Amino acid sequence: MHRSEMVAGDGRSQSFAARLKSEWHMGDRSRLAQLLILVLLVAAAAMFAASIMTGAADASLGNVLRWLLGMEGAEQALSVRDRIIILDIRLPRAVLGMLVGASLAVSGAVMQGLFRNPLADPGLVGVSSGASLGAVLLIVLGSSFFGPLFAIFGFYALPVAAFCGGLITTLLLYKIATRSGQTSVATMLLAGIALGALAGAVTGVLIFMADDKQLRDLTFWGLGSLAGANWMKILSAGPIILVSLAVVPFLARGLNALTLGEAAAFHMGIPVQRLKNIAIVSVAASTGASVAVSGGIGFVGIVVPHVLRMLIGPDHRYLLPASALLGGTLLIFADMIARTIVPPAELPIGIITAFAGAPFFLWILLRGRAHMGL
Amino acid sequence: MIKASHLSVRLSGTQVLHGVSIEAAAGQLTAIVGPNGSGKTTSLKAIAGELPYAGTVHINGHDIKTLKPWELALKRAVLPQSTVISFPFTVREIVRMGLSVGAKADAEETDRIASDALEAVDLSGFAGRFYQELSGGEQQRVQLARALCQIWEPVGYGEPAFLLLDEPVSSLDIRHQLTIMRLARNFCERGGGVIAIMHDLNLTAMFADRMIMMKAGRVHATGHPNEVMTNAVMEAVFGCAMRVNATPGGNIPFVLPHTAA
Repeated sequence: MHRSEMVAGDGRSQSFAARLKSEWHMGDRSRLAQLLILVLLVAAAAMFAASIMTGAADASLGNVLRWLLGMEGAEQALSVRDRIIILDIRLPRAVLGMLVGASLAVSGAVMQGLFRNPLADPGLVGVSSGASLGAVLLIVLGSSFFGPLFAIFGFYALPVAAFCGGLITTLLLYKIATRSGQTSVATMLLAGIALGALAGAVTGVLIFMADDKQLRDLTFWGLGSLAGANWMKILSAGPIILVSLAVVPFLARGLNALTLGEAAAFHMGIPVQRLKNIAIVSVAASTGASVAVSGGIGFVGIVVPHVLRMLIGPDHRYLLPASALLGGTLLIFADMIARTIVPPAELPIGIITAFAGAPFFLWILLRGRAHMGL
Repeated sequence: MIKASHLSVRLSGTQVLHGVSIEAAAGQLTAIVGPNGSGKTTSLKAIAGELPYAGTVHINGHDIKTLKPWELALKRAVLPQSTVISFPFTVREIVRMGLSVGAKADAEETDRIASDALEAVDLSGFAGRFYQELSGGEQQRVQLARALCQIWEPVGYGEPAFLLLDEPVSSLDIRHQLTIMRLARNFCERGGGVIAIMHDLNLTAMFADRMIMMKAGRVHATGHPNEVMTNAVMEAVFGCAMRVNATPGGNIPFVLPHTAA
């Protein structure tokens, strides 16, 4: 009995692996993708917990959980100082890391789908610079020029300004790089560099005009960091990021079809213009909101979707949710490194992502030259 | 029935089509032939609805400008000349993209249609291959399978569906040229319609019910291949004198480049 059960159990587990393998050979990666999304979900939760426990103040997962759930006896296990550190510093930081990481990775994946090119990324092609410019404009010229904006949007003004900057850059880029439905890779990258440089120059002029207090606010945008995370920032950027992430699953089928070109997508029944409009606005919105709260954090949007495409293929129905999970997980991980590697000081997280991402980007370039027409 | 009337198209300042009228009936293979740059592809793109044009295009009595993209997608599928992609999709994933249009049956049914479509273009066993690693001719056949999936029933939703093929056999070996032309014929025999842009006049004469000969953005001659392929038309359209012959038994016209003056 015991023996036969073991055999049956073995047979089952083997048949699942064998099924995955035979599906892979048949070109079907959907079950593999679903499995990976499940794994990433667990990994994201684990990383989130690890991030809350990591740092100078000691807090075990059990105690933190018991305290957060309001269970008896947990009050004594954590000091008031620990509680404040967890609730007002580590928790918002982990939540913001998850939101921003997911937003960066998904924006990258959507933009790559939109431009039909694995090198498109909001950070790389100037969209983040445009968003920064929007934010800097608001800070420097703030009350004198944009008084009404503050009045209408309140503390959403900064993400909204960054969104506008990102949107204008994305639209310009798309207009320049796409001719009769075909996007030129070289034009896109070069135009992106030019637009980024232009936005950078205008930002430079504004910084020159800024006073001391504004300067302190501004240095932050150059590097990108989660250091200033607090619940206020989450409230201002979170809803924008969540809404643009919520729209994205509806783009998946259209982005798949768009891989074959705009004309082919139209032939297959996709309302191409509407798809492009929604994709551009959602990329600009989530990039803008991310830049507004954490500055420019590079390479997440290019590395995460690329790794996932190698594992589960480019089907956007799986690529987009997987990117959100892996992006959030990796950014929290990078943040843990950033705040523990040189104690008691802290590295800006953008440095970590650039150190890991830039060599990877070069590797993609060298490996994929043939396919990408470079 | 596809009925395109008085199509005029300007592309970047040049008038490419001058009032072209094309009709294609269900149950018939309609071939568009003519020299390079005579407006064949532009005509097909206008009929597909992807280009701005003056004139009208009706599919089964509906003006295509009044149809939503997805409604149009159930009435016609399009095979472009060539398709380059930059993401590593497998053949199966590409073919199944055609199936995601419209309300299709369960997963098993879609799987069966996808593999039948691959078999129809002689690519059984290619499902797990990466599209980017295939040859040009194989890629073209994958795209045809994808288009076939989109209108798998030649008569669906109570009306005939149409395949619009832009040079479907141009990069194929001779065996697969025949496979694909027979497939197109078969689609017509089952009640659908096909419009195909062709370069090989002899293959066209073998398979087409109607031939539309274009020249310089206008329709030069229309009719059965026997009527269109004449010495006079060849010289007028292609500007080179060639003798049109006929096969002994079947009375199918053919031209040999060897006869060119």
